[in-house]
Amino acid sequence: MLDIRSARKVFYKGQADEKVALDGLSLSLATGEFGIVIGSNGAGKSSMLNAISGALGLDSGKILINGADVTAMPVHKRATRLARVFQDPMRGTAASMTVAENMLLADLRSQKRTLRQGLNATRLASYKERLSILGLGLENRLDTRVDLLSGGQRQSLSLIMAVGGSPDLLLLDEHTAALDPRTAEIVMQATVRAVNALKLTTLMVTHNMQHAVDYGSRVIMLDAGRVLLEVTGEEKARVTVIDLIGHFSIKTDRMLLAS
Amino acid sequence: MGFIQDVLTSFVAIMPVTLAQSLILAFVVLGIMIPFRMLNFPDLTSEGAFPLGGCVCGVLLAAGVSPLTCIVVAFAAGFAAGCCTAFIHLRFRIHTLLAGILMMTMLYSINLRIMGKSNLSVFGSPTVFDWVPFARPGFPASKIVVAGLLALIAFAALYMFFRTEKGTAVRAVGANPDMAEAQGINVWAATIGGVGLASAFSASSGALMVQSQGFADVNMGLGILINGLAALMIGEAVVGKQTVSRQLLAPFAGAIIYYQLVSFCLAAGMPPPDLKLATGLFVLAMLALPSLKRSRGPAPAREAIRE
Repeated sequence: MLDIRSARKVFYKGQADEKVALDGLSLSLATGEFGIVIGSNGAGKSSMLNAISGALGLDSGKILINGADVTAMPVHKRATRLARVFQDPMRGTAASMTVAENMLLADLRSQKRTLRQGLNATRLASYKERLSILGLGLENRLDTRVDLLSGGQRQSLSLIMAVGGSPDLLLLDEHTAALDPRTAEIVMQATVRAVNALKLTTLMVTHNMQHAVDYGSRVIMLDAGRVLLEVTGEEKARVTVIDLIGHFSIKTDRMLLAS
Repeated sequence: MGFIQDVLTSFVAIMPVTLAQSLILAFVVLGIMIPFRMLNFPDLTSEGAFPLGGCVCGVLLAAGVSPLTCIVVAFAAGFAAGCCTAFIHLRFRIHTLLAGILMMTMLYSINLRIMGKSNLSVFGSPTVFDWVPFARPGFPASKIVVAGLLALIAFAALYMFFRTEKGTAVRAVGANPDMAEAQGINVWAATIGGVGLASAFSASSGALMVQSQGFADVNMGLGILINGLAALMIGEAVVGKQTVSRQLLAPFAGAIIYYQLVSFCLAAGMPPPDLKLATGLFVLAMLALPSLKRSRGPAPAREAIRE
């Protein structure tokens, strides 16, 4: 499904502050797998996600999605295969547009956009139904501008937008980190339900070790731009927060707090 | 009393002429609004695209080309100019305003090259305004009808476009380019096409203006941008910008109101040289208003405490 082959990316190459973001990183994820990516700040988690989505060009290495080499493909072309939820609720939605318009944008992610009317009765009805799953009342606010929603509502909307149309690959970039604990829980539960129901191949970056233990079929720990540890199958079922934290070379306060 | 009467008489006397002029210039305001509000791409190209359309139209009219073809060619030339501005910004990561300044500066030379001299009289050439039968000398009904009709067509076409799947995608590029890209929208294509279309409208306005006034001049664009911006601000203040239809209506309403205001000021005896200062101050005030309101008012905070 997803295949990253010795991806390498260096920032500020040849300068004093040269930084190796991805150091020959290789990773493969089978169809339907739910991978949780952990690692300290600067380990290369975001760089990896950006490389997969196309926002970050690689110096060398390859990225394959469903067997197709997408290394040279721009972001908007890769979007037909993958969906992404950003950490910042502001980044994943168009603030000055309505809830329904945002749903429309995501709905047409993998299709060719035509000159036919965008929002029609059929689509509005389906958006209403899909939003009602969240239980946040967004289904009655289809004509509300997104900037009038709370951060949690926006992130929930981003999630529904991302999982709609069953993308080949779902990328979640610390998507509950900016939310209050209760909303984070709602969004997380909705994520797990959607991923399980649609059998989505998912890669989730998180700093929350409890999430890494509770969810997903595999834990991938990154360090200094490469995969340090992979925990799968039986071992994943038995792993604890303490085990995971033990592997961190640098224990940041944030991780300890999260545990 | 006599003064006020004089002012009103001369204001009312030139009202239809001003209306005709404002309907033609509404296309420039539209050309400023589309990049600024729909694409979040503050663009200055119109200051060069307006005379570009005028020069192209002037040369073609002088060569005996049909007036409608002139407008179509001017539209295409403006489109190309806008595309260049957007490309300069996207490819070389140059700020949108700087890209616009570069383009309008270069267009000045291009406009001179196109015409071969700084102004060209096309008085007596056929114009699109000749096709309206019931024209009376002194009352520019034909200009109002033609420009009004074109404005109506442009408004309807844009309104329908921005409700389509493609149109929604273009708006998303303005609202949040990162998100648009992640939703499979080609940001480059939308930006280049959108800014190109906007400049095309500005150039069409120039072409209409040349046919209306009977001459083309390389300096005809001087100050058109600040006037257009002022008109847009008035339009948005009057009709609002909350919905697509209001946002699209604002340039037309704004142009009509703004140019009537200008003509009123002139009728009231304001010296024409002061006009730009007044317009500039007005635009400044409109742009500063939100920040003035914010800095003056910790009112919401106080209210929150009271609760």
